[in-house]
Amino acid sequence: MAQPDSDGKPAQRAEAPLVAFEGVTKRFPGVVANDSVDLTLEAGEIHALIGENGAGKSTLMRVLYGLYPPDGGRILVRGEEVRITSPRIALSHGIGMVHQHFMLVDRFTVAENIILGAEGGTVIDVGRAGRSIGDLATTYGFSITPSKRVEDLSVGEQQRVEILKALYRGVDLLILDEPTAVLTPQEASDLFGNLRNLKADGKTIVFISHKLDEVLDIADRITVLRRGKVIGATRPAETTKSKLAEMMVGRPVLFQLDKPDTDSDLDSAGPLLEVENVSLAGRLEGVTLSVAGGEILGIAGVEGNGQLELAEVLIGLRTPDSGTVRIEGTDVTGRSVAGVRKQGVGYVPEDRHNRGLVLDMTLWENSCLGRQSGKDYSSRWGVLSIRKIKALAARMIKQFDVRTRTSNVTAATLSGGNQQKLILARELEGEPRLLIAAQPTRGLDVGAIEFVWKQILDHKAAGRAVVLISAELDEIYELSDRIVTIYEGRLTGEYPPDAPAEELGLGMTGRSDRSAKAV
Amino acid sequence: MATAAEPPARRTSRIRYDFLAGQLLALGGAFAFAAAIGSIIIIAYNENPLFVYATVLNYSTARVQDIAQVLEYATPLIFSGLAVAVAFKAGLFNIGVEGQYIVGLMTASAAALYLDFLPAFLLVPAVLIAAMAGAMVWASVPAVLKVRTGAHEVVTTIMMNGIAISLVAWAILNPLKSTGEQLVDLRTNLFPEEALMPSFAGTFGLESVIPISVHLTLLFPLALIACALVWFFLFRMRLGYEVRAVGSSSGSAEAGGISIGAAQVKVFLISGALAGLVGLNHLIGDKGYLGSNYETGLGFAGIAVAFLGRNHPGGIPLAAVLIGILLRGQDGIAISTELPTEILIILQGVLILSVVIAYELVQRVLRRRMQQEVAVTETTAPAEA
Repeated sequence: MAQPDSDGKPAQRAEAPLVAFEGVTKRFPGVVANDSVDLTLEAGEIHALIGENGAGKSTLMRVLYGLYPPDGGRILVRGEEVRITSPRIALSHGIGMVHQHFMLVDRFTVAENIILGAEGGTVIDVGRAGRSIGDLATTYGFSITPSKRVEDLSVGEQQRVEILKALYRGVDLLILDEPTAVLTPQEASDLFGNLRNLKADGKTIVFISHKLDEVLDIADRITVLRRGKVIGATRPAETTKSKLAEMMVGRPVLFQLDKPDTDSDLDSAGPLLEVENVSLAGRLEGVTLSVAGGEILGIAGVEGNGQLELAEVLIGLRTPDSGTVRIEGTDVTGRSVAGVRKQGVGYVPEDRHNRGLVLDMTLWENSCLGRQSGKDYSSRWGVLSIRKIKALAARMIKQFDVRTRTSNVTAATLSGGNQQKLILARELEGEPRLLIAAQPTRGLDVGAIEFVWKQILDHKAAGRAVVLISAELDEIYELSDRIVTIYEGRLTGEYPPDAPAEELGLGMTGRSDRSAKAV
Repeated sequence: MATAAEPPARRTSRIRYDFLAGQLLALGGAFAFAAAIGSIIIIAYNENPLFVYATVLNYSTARVQDIAQVLEYATPLIFSGLAVAVAFKAGLFNIGVEGQYIVGLMTASAAALYLDFLPAFLLVPAVLIAAMAGAMVWASVPAVLKVRTGAHEVVTTIMMNGIAISLVAWAILNPLKSTGEQLVDLRTNLFPEEALMPSFAGTFGLESVIPISVHLTLLFPLALIACALVWFFLFRMRLGYEVRAVGSSSGSAEAGGISIGAAQVKVFLISGALAGLVGLNHLIGDKGYLGSNYETGLGFAGIAVAFLGRNHPGGIPLAAVLIGILLRGQDGIAISTELPTEILIILQGVLILSVVIAYELVQRVLRRRMQQEVAVTETTAPAEA
C-alpha cells in the first residue's frame, strides 16, 4: 500500500498524500509498538485503523499528534518531511485528535470549552466565539447548543464538542480514537452522519476502532495493524467482517456463538431474581422484572436511563425508595453488598476502574476483593492467607487467560481487556447463581469480546441466571433469551430475542406501545 | 502454573530491585537538592555549609549518647508518623493526632496517679493502655461524625485539637491538680516510681555511655515493634487489606462488599490508639508529672514524618530518625556557628518537599516500566491456556 516509487520524483504522483508515514518505528523498552510502519492518508478519505488492543494503532496516531517522538522513519505532511514534537505543532499542520477519554471542563459551557487554549487575546468575545461555533456546527450538521454547560451534556454531545474543538482550530485531519466505544447505536449513527459531512467538505478522518461493522460501514480504506506491524490494507467492498477479524487476530474468529438451550427442568424451579416495583428517586420508576435460572435477560437502553442505578440496586450499592428485590425467594432489599453477594450474586460493573478493580493493588490482592472474609482467604484472627489468595489468582489468570507473567503487578498495568477478564474471573469464581453484567465488553477488542460472551453463555448453560445490561444491541441480541428496554428509569417493553432492532429502538426511546407488565 | 513459575519469579524480583534502587536514587537526589538549597542560605550568612553539615552530623552521631539523644527525639515522632500514616492508608487525614495525644497525656496521668497501688510491671502497661484509650475516645468523635454525617475529618480533628487543650488545662487545674501547696507551676503530683518507663540504658546496661540526661526509654524499641505491627496489620491482615482498598479505590472496595464506613472508623481508632503513645516519652520517660507546659507540636510533626516516610511503616522510623538528627543538630549549630537554629527547620521543609517530588518522579518512571513489562507479556505470551 505504500507508494512503490517514493524516490522523490513527482512524476507519478500528481499530488502528495496528506500524510505519509515512511518506516515509522516506535519502541518502548522491550516492546516495538510500531514496527517500520508505512501508511498514507489521502485528503478527503475516512481511513479506518483497526487492530486488537495493543496492536499499536493509538501509538501510531499519538506519534502523528506529537505525543510520542518516533524512534525511526519519517512523517511527511503534504509531501514535506515534518518533525511533530507536540500537539501544538500537530495542530499547526492541521492535525487534530479526539481521545477516547474526553478532556473537557465540566463546569464550562460548550463555547468556553471549545475556545479554551485558542482564545486569541486577553479579552474573550464570548458572543463572537459562540456565533462562529454555531456556524461551524451548522456547516457540519452538528446539533449542539454553545451556551450549554458540558456537565449537562450526554456522552455523544460531549464527543461532538471534542470534535468541534479540533475543527475550531482549523484541522484538515481529524484522528478519532475509538469514538464509538462510549456511544449508543443512535449516537454512533449520528456521529457517522457528522463524519460523512466532514468528508464531503474535504476533511480527512482517521478512525481507530475494533468494531468491524462500523468500520465496514464508514471507512473508505481500512488498514489492519497487528503487533505493531501493518498486516494489510483493504477497502470495505473488497473484504468481509470475518476476513478483517482474521487479519486482526491472526486466526479465524467465530461471530456466531452457540446459544445453548436451557435445560427445561431448570426453568421449573421458579424465578431466581424477582424485582418488584422498585423505585429510586428520579432514577427508577416501578421496575418489575424476573429472571429464571438458565436465562439471560438483556436490558437494552440508551445510556443514562437508569441502567447503572438498577444494577447498583440489584447488588446492594443503593437502597431503593420502594419495592423489593428477592433472590431465590429471599428478600435482599436494603441489604449491604456483602449481604447480597452472600446470596450468590456476582457483579461485573460498568466502570471497571472505579467499581471493579483497585488499580494500585496487585492482581492477587484484586483477585480476592469481596471474598477476603471467606475462611479460605483469611483466618479467624483476620490474617490473610496470602498463599491461598495467590493460588486463587494464579488459577484465575490461567483459566481466564489474563496476559501477565505474575500476579505481583498492579492492576493498573493491565490492558482493558485483561482487566475485564480478571474481574469476570473474580465474579464468576464460586459460581454465583446470578450474574449482573453491566456493559461487560465496553472498550474490548474482538478476541476479548468473544471470550467474555462465551463465559456469560457458559454461566447460563450451567443453569444460572444473568442480567445483562448493555448499550450494544449486537451484544443484547447475541446473548439474551429475553430482552427488556429501559427508558427514563422505566421498563418500556419486553421482546423475544429475535425482535427487530427498530422495535427495540422504539422501546429505548420511550415510544413503545408495548406494555411492560408481563416482564 | 508450575511450569510458568520460574520466569515470573525472576521478573518480579527485577521489578522489586528496580523499585528499591529507584527509591534510593530519588532519596539521594532529594538530599543533594535540599543540601544545595541549604548551602545557599548558609553562605548568605557567611558560614561554610560543609562545616555546618559536619557539625550537624557530628553532634548527632559522634558518640553513643548523641545517637541515643537522636533516638529519644525520634521516639514520639515514630508513633505520630504511624498514626498519621495508618489513617492515610484509608484515605483519611488525621490532623488530630495532636489533640489525641494531649488527651492521652491526661488519661495516662490519671492512671499513673490513681492506680499507684499497682506494681511497676502492671502500672506501666496500665498507663500505656490509658493513654491509648483516651486518645482513641478522642479519635472516635471525628471518625463517627465522618461516617455518619460526612463531616470532613480535617475540620473536626482540628476542632477536637482545640477542645483537647482546654480539657487538659481543666484537668490539671481540677481533678489532677497537685496537692503540694508550695508549687507555683500548674501541674500534677509526681507520678510514683512504678509508673515511669524504664530507661534504655538501665535495661541494657549502657549507663556508662548514655548519661541520665538522655531520656531514651523502652518506648523506643516499643515504637519499632509498633512499626512492625502496623506493617503486619496493613499488609497481612484482612482489615488492613480492606483499609488499603478503601483508601485507593473506595468505589471498587464498596462494590466488592467492603463497608467503607466500618473500615474507616476502625482504622481511625487504631490511628488514635497510636497517637496516644506519642506524648508518653516526655510524660513517663522524662518529667514524671503532667504540667501545663507539656510538649506540643508532636502530632503535626507526625504529618511531616509520615510524608517523608512515604506512609510506610518501614520508612517512618527512618524519617523520624532523620528529623531527630536535625533536631539534635540544632544544638550543635547554636553552639558552633552564628546561624539561627531555624536554618534546620528550613532545611527540613526543603527536604520534605524535594523528597516528595523525587518520589513522585521515580514512581512515574517505574509505573511506565511496569506497564511496558506487562505489555511485553501481552504481545508475546502465547494464547494457550
